[in-house]
Amino acid sequence: MTQAKVYARSSGPQYKRKVWRWPTLLSSAGLVLFTLVYLLPLFYTVATSLKTPLEIAQDPLGFPKTPRFENYFEAASKMNYLRAVLNTVFITAFSSAGIVLLATLAAYPLARVRARWTSMVYQYFAFGLTIPGFVVLIPLYGLMKSLHLVNTYPGLILIYIAGNLPFSIFFFTSFVRSIPAELEEASVLDGCSPLQTFWYVVLPLLRPVVGTVAMFVTLSIWNDFLLPLIFLFSPDSRTVMVSVYSFLGLYGYNPATLFPAAVLGSLPLLIFFFFLQRQIIAGISAGAVKG
Amino acid sequence: MQMPFRVALAFLAPALMVYSLLIIYPALNGFYLSLTDSNGVNRANYIGLANYTRMFADSSFTTALRNTVIYAVLVTLMQTVLGLTLALWMGKLPWLRNGARVALFTPGMISALIVAFVWSNIYNPLSGGLNALLSAVGLGGLTRVWLGDPNTALIAVAVVNAWMYSGHSAAIFLANYLSIPPELKESAELDGASGWTMFWHIEWPLLAPATTVNTVITVISALKVFELPFIMTQGGPGGATTVLNLEIYKRAFSGNDFGYGTALTVVLLLLIVGLVLLQTRVLQARELRL
Repeated sequence: MTQAKVYARSSGPQYKRKVWRWPTLLSSAGLVLFTLVYLLPLFYTVATSLKTPLEIAQDPLGFPKTPRFENYFEAASKMNYLRAVLNTVFITAFSSAGIVLLATLAAYPLARVRARWTSMVYQYFAFGLTIPGFVVLIPLYGLMKSLHLVNTYPGLILIYIAGNLPFSIFFFTSFVRSIPAELEEASVLDGCSPLQTFWYVVLPLLRPVVGTVAMFVTLSIWNDFLLPLIFLFSPDSRTVMVSVYSFLGLYGYNPATLFPAAVLGSLPLLIFFFFLQRQIIAGISAGAVKG
Repeated sequence: MQMPFRVALAFLAPALMVYSLLIIYPALNGFYLSLTDSNGVNRANYIGLANYTRMFADSSFTTALRNTVIYAVLVTLMQTVLGLTLALWMGKLPWLRNGARVALFTPGMISALIVAFVWSNIYNPLSGGLNALLSAVGLGGLTRVWLGDPNTALIAVAVVNAWMYSGHSAAIFLANYLSIPPELKESAELDGASGWTMFWHIEWPLLAPATTVNTVITVISALKVFELPFIMTQGGPGGATTVLNLEIYKRAFSGNDFGYGTALTVVLLLLIVGLVLLQTRVLQARELRL
């Protein structure tokens, strides 16, 4: 008896490692169940998007008897979906390129020139992080109107570039500071101009951060709704969110049109998230560890 | 490194120009506009602080201010408690960690506009999923006109907000949790700590950095909420979900009261800056005490 007890105790830790203990099993099952319940609204959205209006009314929770993919074709053609996706991709691409170019150019001297005036310029950009959108929005509308940039692609792209400069400059400057300046000094000795040094030496070193910034800009521009609603409203140039909004505004809260439109509006970004999940989550969690 | 002033300025020039023209100039203009009676049509007259003094007598402003603060508190509480619980849960189950983290993160990737449309349907008393689900599991007594009842509307919107971003909070807490050196927990275990004691004396204090980051981010975004109430309730019923940004939108864009609208945005800015300063002071003091 005593021997058995001793044996059991000594083999305890190994036993733990090899076989599932039931509290762990229960906890795992609980987490899986919780996650599934948490995502119910998403499953509900997909299931409902494939139902007929009658099925939705009679049995809101059931699965569609035969999935109706026509719902999607209808919504896509009424929303002018492909055009809206192309518009959004176009705006996102040019905005990201502009942001990366302007912000890296600015971050280079801000990180390398240690002087009072550069730290003041840095503060000036950092100030932009605190200004809430609506303070800028109302006068900005008047300004864009007098520049004839309302309802044009360049207008909205310029606004996105300006609005994202503070956080990107912040990001790039701290990254440039962390890379040693020897490479740049060598390229200057080799006779490169400052612009050549920037283009061939600094920019390639920034590649990983460029990816992070471009990723966050893409997320925020794709999901943005208010700025394109105000600054780019003509039917042909609508972004995906504006077209979802005007489509659903027109057809009210009719679930048979709402759910396919919701899936179409989110799908491209969810695919993007699926491929870049690791980087996106790491980017968002970074602040916690750095403190 | 040697970089002449001219060269440095040339590198900075494009960013400085775009940013000054499209952000700083309109922002300054906005502060000025808040001191005028501008309506976008007639010439704006300087009226001093009249827009600001007008707010105190404006019951729709005080309601919006109260709603915004209640909303921010509700969202922050729900999101922090849920995010923390989920992070600890995931932290203790390494084999499920990555899958659960990605899955719980997903709602926050969808645009608030679409989430708002979907949830207005889920809350719909006639064809919506929530009441149908409650009836199906025998809780028919709990069914409600969620967004049509002034008592539940604000909470219902706040729940959606917390649903979207609890996965973000959890990811931030989890990153912090995983950076806690295992030796600390092992030595606490040797001293006999487990369960609640372990959480309260070891894990929770060491999660202070993530707590600061999470609550600051959550409070800022909750104070600035716009799309969710704009789509789900349009501020109703009877102003129960009219938050500051919605009031600003109504005043400035529907009512053309630009001067008063921008004065409200300045108040929102002060509210955000004030709360963030208070939070960082309190929470960072807590981090330092450790």
